[in-house]
Amino acid sequence: MDEFLRMEHVSKRFGDFYANRDINLSIRKGEVHTLLGENGAGKSTLMNVLIGLYQPTEGTIYLNGQAVRIDSPAQAVRLGIGMVHQHFMLVEAMTVFENIILGDRNTKGIFINKEARKKEILELAERYGLDVELDKSITEIAVGAQQRVEILKALYRGAELLILDEPSAALTDIEVEGLFKIMRKLTEEGKSIIFISHKMREVLRISDRITILRAGEVVTTLERSQTDGQELANLMIGRELAPSHYGKVEDPGSPVIQLRSVDYHKDSKHAGLNGVSLTVGRGEIVGIAGVDGNGQSQLAQVVTGVLTPDAGEVDMKGSKVAQFTPHGFILESVSHIPEDRNKMGLIGNMSVKDNIVLKSTDSPEFSSARGYHLKKKAIRDYALKMQEKYDIRCTSIEQETRNLSGGNQQKVILARELEGHPDLLVAVHPTRGLDIGATRFVHDTMIEARDKGCGVLLISADFDEILEVSDRIVVMFEGQIMGVFSGKNPPIEEISLAMAGK
Amino acid sequence: MKNNSKLANFLVPVISILLAFVIGCVIMAVLGANPFVALQSLWIGAFGSLRNVGTTLARSTPLIFTSLCACFAYRCGVFNLGGEGQFLMGSIVCCYIATKSGIEGLPAILLCLLGGTAAGGAWALVAGLLKVYRNQNEMIITIMLNYVATLLMGVVYTNWLRDGSVPQTASVPDADKLSRLFGLRITSAFVIAIAVGLLIYYFLFYTSKGFQLRAVGLNMTAAEFNGFAVKRYILLSFIVSGAIAGLGGSAELLGTQFRLINGFGAGYGFDGVAMALIGQLHPLATILVAIFFAALRVGSTTMQAATGVPTSVSDIIQALVIVFTVAGLAMVKLPQFKAFLGRMADKTQKEAV
Repeated sequence: MDEFLRMEHVSKRFGDFYANRDINLSIRKGEVHTLLGENGAGKSTLMNVLIGLYQPTEGTIYLNGQAVRIDSPAQAVRLGIGMVHQHFMLVEAMTVFENIILGDRNTKGIFINKEARKKEILELAERYGLDVELDKSITEIAVGAQQRVEILKALYRGAELLILDEPSAALTDIEVEGLFKIMRKLTEEGKSIIFISHKMREVLRISDRITILRAGEVVTTLERSQTDGQELANLMIGRELAPSHYGKVEDPGSPVIQLRSVDYHKDSKHAGLNGVSLTVGRGEIVGIAGVDGNGQSQLAQVVTGVLTPDAGEVDMKGSKVAQFTPHGFILESVSHIPEDRNKMGLIGNMSVKDNIVLKSTDSPEFSSARGYHLKKKAIRDYALKMQEKYDIRCTSIEQETRNLSGGNQQKVILARELEGHPDLLVAVHPTRGLDIGATRFVHDTMIEARDKGCGVLLISADFDEILEVSDRIVVMFEGQIMGVFSGKNPPIEEISLAMAGK
Repeated sequence: MKNNSKLANFLVPVISILLAFVIGCVIMAVLGANPFVALQSLWIGAFGSLRNVGTTLARSTPLIFTSLCACFAYRCGVFNLGGEGQFLMGSIVCCYIATKSGIEGLPAILLCLLGGTAAGGAWALVAGLLKVYRNQNEMIITIMLNYVATLLMGVVYTNWLRDGSVPQTASVPDADKLSRLFGLRITSAFVIAIAVGLLIYYFLFYTSKGFQLRAVGLNMTAAEFNGFAVKRYILLSFIVSGAIAGLGGSAELLGTQFRLINGFGAGYGFDGVAMALIGQLHPLATILVAIFFAALRVGSTTMQAATGVPTSVSDIIQALVIVFTVAGLAMVKLPQFKAFLGRMADKTQKEAV
């Protein structure tokens, strides 16, 4: 088969950090080529290089054997590279037809010959089996149909290579079938497709070849016929297991929180929970492993009282939770390190000091006369103590937290959430974006809390982190629990398969 | 960094005011007047004698109320643009109590102020309920409610409470009028306004609830995650800010205007919004800004009489202060400007060494 695109020794560096290093990739005409890798493996960066959003630091891209420079998305379109983003780029208030011709560079003059254009588009749609209604507005059509519009838009601009970024993420099963048919049809007609997905089942079904990325580098490229899910999962996770620094607890204390068949928007695969049963005991760390967007955020928000489940029961220290409010859970001494520290954890325009005492200004320690007079000196002294204890590096405790580094912001949250000796700590991606030192600090702090009898629910997309600190590992996929594994000598292969939904 | 941004918060309004005056002077010169003489007469008109000071402070009183109204709401992240409507509703209810209740003297005054406060709060609550429970945009709702209040006041002074042939209500009884201070135009309403300002300052910065309210205003999501009753704070901020405006409306009626008439309270709501912003949402700074604007307005009449420079030049200066401050505050938030400040700081440090 002819080669359409080849990347040779392509690297993309941000500062000292290589997001992609020495990538060699070849895409043939008429193939579905899957890129497989964990979050942060470098897939998105590589695709952004390909569509001209980033310039590679080193390396060359060849199209049909010719070296090319792709310095803008418009240039990528001219070269026949089209991308369907995970979040669609459609103008919702406009019709399907208007979206397809929007920004098309062939439009010359002031007037558009609508009928001729429509005929052209319909012919194209028919050829590839893309069923769309041109005169409906985007808001009126289903998600699957919006995706077909995106594909049609790319084809109308002359795409020979289509990049589909997690195209099945938002689709129902039937819609996925339809998408696969379209993909087959496209490749039969000689178009090439780069398919990005985390779902092993789909990858195995649709791919011709599979390239595995890990930590910004290509691990290998395999023919679909010569591999299986087990091998792919191993390659994707792909490491010799480094022994954990921490001792693992095997028999936890009494349950702190217990979920029984909890549902939340259970038909939503990526933002719901479906019959989740889970227990976190005193003095153990339960790690939730799984690819981002399989219901982890919703789980975190249910066990901190932000969301109310649609069905099922939640027991807090043995008694049933009647009302779900963050305040109620805080009173039950549940602490929360939320997934987005700037949006959910900190008041960025307030000082380090204010953020440290954020939850406790009503307490007699920090205010007298039932909250009617703040004890500013007590607050200051306490904040200074916490600054030292948690090693928060700031110019002063009056510095606004939005000006701190990510690691120090996280330490402010830790100081607030852990100081009251919580019974349950819910930590969501607690080390995302932190350097090694800060990560280690966060892990040590969680282990310390565990050893003091706190139950910890750790949710993380970083598999290393889960393996490092979890006493038990629970795998989530599409809102369901796929399995529970011991954190001591964890069965990596089984876990990685469970993460991919098998 | 912290000190720099604090300094900028102080310097921006000051520099804006200076710039606005410079441009005002150019306009005066073009009009053929001597700017220095004109500015001098502006100053004399506003602060030249005890009597003029009294007039300026009296003029600032309703502005203080409406700017505190905006200030309080914004601190909780609520964009209440309905200060004017709440001000008017307060004055309407106050007018009814003063002219129809039959009580007089101090009990009547207290009842009037209380009724006006409650009316302002209730009027703002309408918008608050629509925002919290129906997710409506509070800016649009409050602006619309301003029109409703203005038209309602029209009905009141042309029909329901009309007194005689002129479309206006009867004057409030002398016994219900707020007492003047030291025989000047300034009344006890000014004292009430300052007291309200101090109270708000204390609440926002010295109480636990005020602290939480500010947290809600700065980041609602984080406030919710940290267990604050966000909806309750939003409703509270609507009610309190409306109540402040309503109190202002009643105080203006009992202290200065004495009757409802076409144009009563017009423009005070939006003036308050601008002043709260220039005052950086700090209640005490907001009061100073309100007095400054009142001084420009009072002094401009003297300026016109003495030098022939029309009062509209003073309006231009006021408008420019607003424009420059808003632009300036946006500018100091730009990353380029922060980088520039950083370079300057490095340089001065090196020179100091």
